[in-house]
Amino acid sequence: MLTFSKNAAASRMAISFFISWCSMAALSTSYADELTHSKEHVEEIVLKAEKAAYYAGSDGKSLARMMIVDNQGRKQMRQFTILRKDVVDDEGVDTGDQRMLVFFSRPTEVQNTVFRVEKHTDLNTDDDRWLYLPALDLVKRIAAGDKRTSFVGSHFFYEDVSGRAIAEDSFTLTETTDTHYRLKAVPKKPESVEFTHYIVDIDKVTFLPTQINFYKTETNYRRVEAVTVDTIQGYPTVVRSKVSDLETGGYTLMEFRNISYDVGLSDSIFSERSLRVPPQDYID
Amino acid sequence: MCRHKTTLIDDAPMFINRISFALLLTLYLMVQSPHAFSQQDNVTDSNGIASTRSSSDEDVQQTQDDWGDEWGESWEEDVIERNPLTVSGFAEIAVGERLYSDAAINTAKTLRDARVQVRADYALSASSLRFRGDLYYDGVKREWETQLRELAWQGSLSGLGEWGERFDVKIGQQVLTWGTGDYLFLNDLFPKDFQSFFAGRDDEYLKAPSASIKLSGYFDALNVDVVVTPSFEPDIGITGEVFSFFSPQLKGNIAPAFSVTSDNTPSDEEVAVRLYGSIGQAEVALYGYRGYTKQPLSADENGFARYSRMNAYGASMLMPFGAGIANAEYAYYDSVEDANGSNPLVMNSQSRYLIGYTQELFTNVTGGAQWYTEVVHDHDALVSYSPFPAYEQERYRHWVTTRITYMALRQTLMVNAFLFYSPTDSDGYLKANVTYSPGDTWQLRSGINIFKGNNPNTFWGQFEDASNAYVALRYFY
Repeated sequence: MLTFSKNAAASRMAISFFISWCSMAALSTSYADELTHSKEHVEEIVLKAEKAAYYAGSDGKSLARMMIVDNQGRKQMRQFTILRKDVVDDEGVDTGDQRMLVFFSRPTEVQNTVFRVEKHTDLNTDDDRWLYLPALDLVKRIAAGDKRTSFVGSHFFYEDVSGRAIAEDSFTLTETTDTHYRLKAVPKKPESVEFTHYIVDIDKVTFLPTQINFYKTETNYRRVEAVTVDTIQGYPTVVRSKVSDLETGGYTLMEFRNISYDVGLSDSIFSERSLRVPPQDYID
Repeated sequence: MCRHKTTLIDDAPMFINRISFALLLTLYLMVQSPHAFSQQDNVTDSNGIASTRSSSDEDVQQTQDDWGDEWGESWEEDVIERNPLTVSGFAEIAVGERLYSDAAINTAKTLRDARVQVRADYALSASSLRFRGDLYYDGVKREWETQLRELAWQGSLSGLGEWGERFDVKIGQQVLTWGTGDYLFLNDLFPKDFQSFFAGRDDEYLKAPSASIKLSGYFDALNVDVVVTPSFEPDIGITGEVFSFFSPQLKGNIAPAFSVTSDNTPSDEEVAVRLYGSIGQAEVALYGYRGYTKQPLSADENGFARYSRMNAYGASMLMPFGAGIANAEYAYYDSVEDANGSNPLVMNSQSRYLIGYTQELFTNVTGGAQWYTEVVHDHDALVSYSPFPAYEQERYRHWVTTRITYMALRQTLMVNAFLFYSPTDSDGYLKANVTYSPGDTWQLRSGINIFKGNNPNTFWGQFEDASNAYVALRYFY
């Protein structure tokens, strides 16, 4: 069940899934120079991995679908179109803020439901989120919530897809292979999360995180992985990803289709107007 | 007054039998439906996306091999060959029973729906046609019913030149909503269906449709909505067919299958206007309405109920506050036909105030609270001219509402409890339900509507015998 059904509880519907698509896309610039284990170089890797996320074009659109498989093998499907645009300041510099719209087409229960997000990178400002429920013609403002809860019933967390701020964790470079940097991240506020640490593999060429394993002390209980990466308009982009609950066996697959960057989406699209009258030119 | 009440236990066997029957019938339909379980087994995938690179993890190759088999259906069908017409909907069986007997109504049934909803959207080049219609057998009224919830054309006026690009219009039968309250409506004077709300139908049915023209204009600082409903569309109130209500004349509940005569139902238009915009993260709005009381709260010279002229003016604000969302709303109901409150046949003017707050309390638990006040203007005149002063509404009526929502099993199970409580009327209404959706096609919903009051005449108190429990099973197609 998608919980947007009429109740205030829709707060879990984190739009920013979409960001996973954005945030896993990175510049194809090659950073061939070997980085050492010094603190400065670890920061550089993390910054490049995070920063690259926001430069896959100034905007983008994609079709997406998820398959949610629970530990008994029961499946649920979600299908939606995502529009996203980066917010720039008066000088045209990317602020890191993003505007997003997610138009659900499946399942029937949530058909024509629309999610709108104004994502703020400022740690002290919560994202603004709205949900449009077509059966009631209701635009609902959603309270900010715990970011480590399910996104539309999937195994992805809001934070998996919106991107966890790198300021939240302390990173150390534990291994460098021919293809990847492996970093260990320890949360600075362990009480705010359910894990004790995570290990992230970052591709040395694309700087895309290709696998993240979350641990409770010694137990690896959760994994997020990039399964397929395609280069789209010059941007390496994760088109298939998977998150697994290693404790129960449930998992969610996500796939993007018809991705395009630099579409030329106007700011006016990202408004309440599009909730009731979706911009059909961009949704097909 | 003395009211006969049997306990839930006494009624239980019959109640359970009826629910069992509904469940058996539904199971039978499930088995008969060739598509009920087959969706997950259709294995088709011809995606063939060229993978240029993937994670070095050895598990990944296995994952990719499996991937094609994982998806239940091809995505080409509906994505690549996009059809301008989409058809969907659901079938539902819902059964509800009174928890106490009602001396005024000779049945324990409160809900007996066998319903099909059909939704069809047709995309034109720059606009769309939308249809949503319900056909159902109402086993309480023993009647087939239809409800056209939406049949409307929606598009922009861009064909009329550059200025037209700033306007959208939606013409036809439609459901309309605005305002900031949770189950409380101040400036939203679009029609509502309280009978469905009390009986435990899905929340969708709390909003009744109207044949309207909605013009929306979008500008830099301000947006505007103008809704014209050419023929007044009242609320669907409590009419006595399913639930009884208090009669001051008879000093008790009656269930007369009540309806307002056509002479007492206006046929001319209603106009509702909203101006709204944002100031930072705050959303502000101004509202206006010209029309009639949405419920027949006034009477003609012969004492028959009627709708009287009413205008409304109001404002609202909604903004992030702390870890949650705060909202405030005000509305002034101007009873045009009774400017000084001295006409006992016409409702008095009112002011209505609302403040509310919603926040996530714990992971997967969200809580909300509202304080709502109705102020009856010229209350002294109301009481001194009233034929039933003892039963008139108090000058101030306060309501407190709380909502708790809990989601579990990765959002397939949702528990909701909403409580209205009035410290001034000493009455309340608990609306609680559990919804379980193990997959994309089946949904089981069950809940209670409990009304309680110290007096038989108060807003919620009069509905004590309407208290009910229900279960509904829905199949989406």
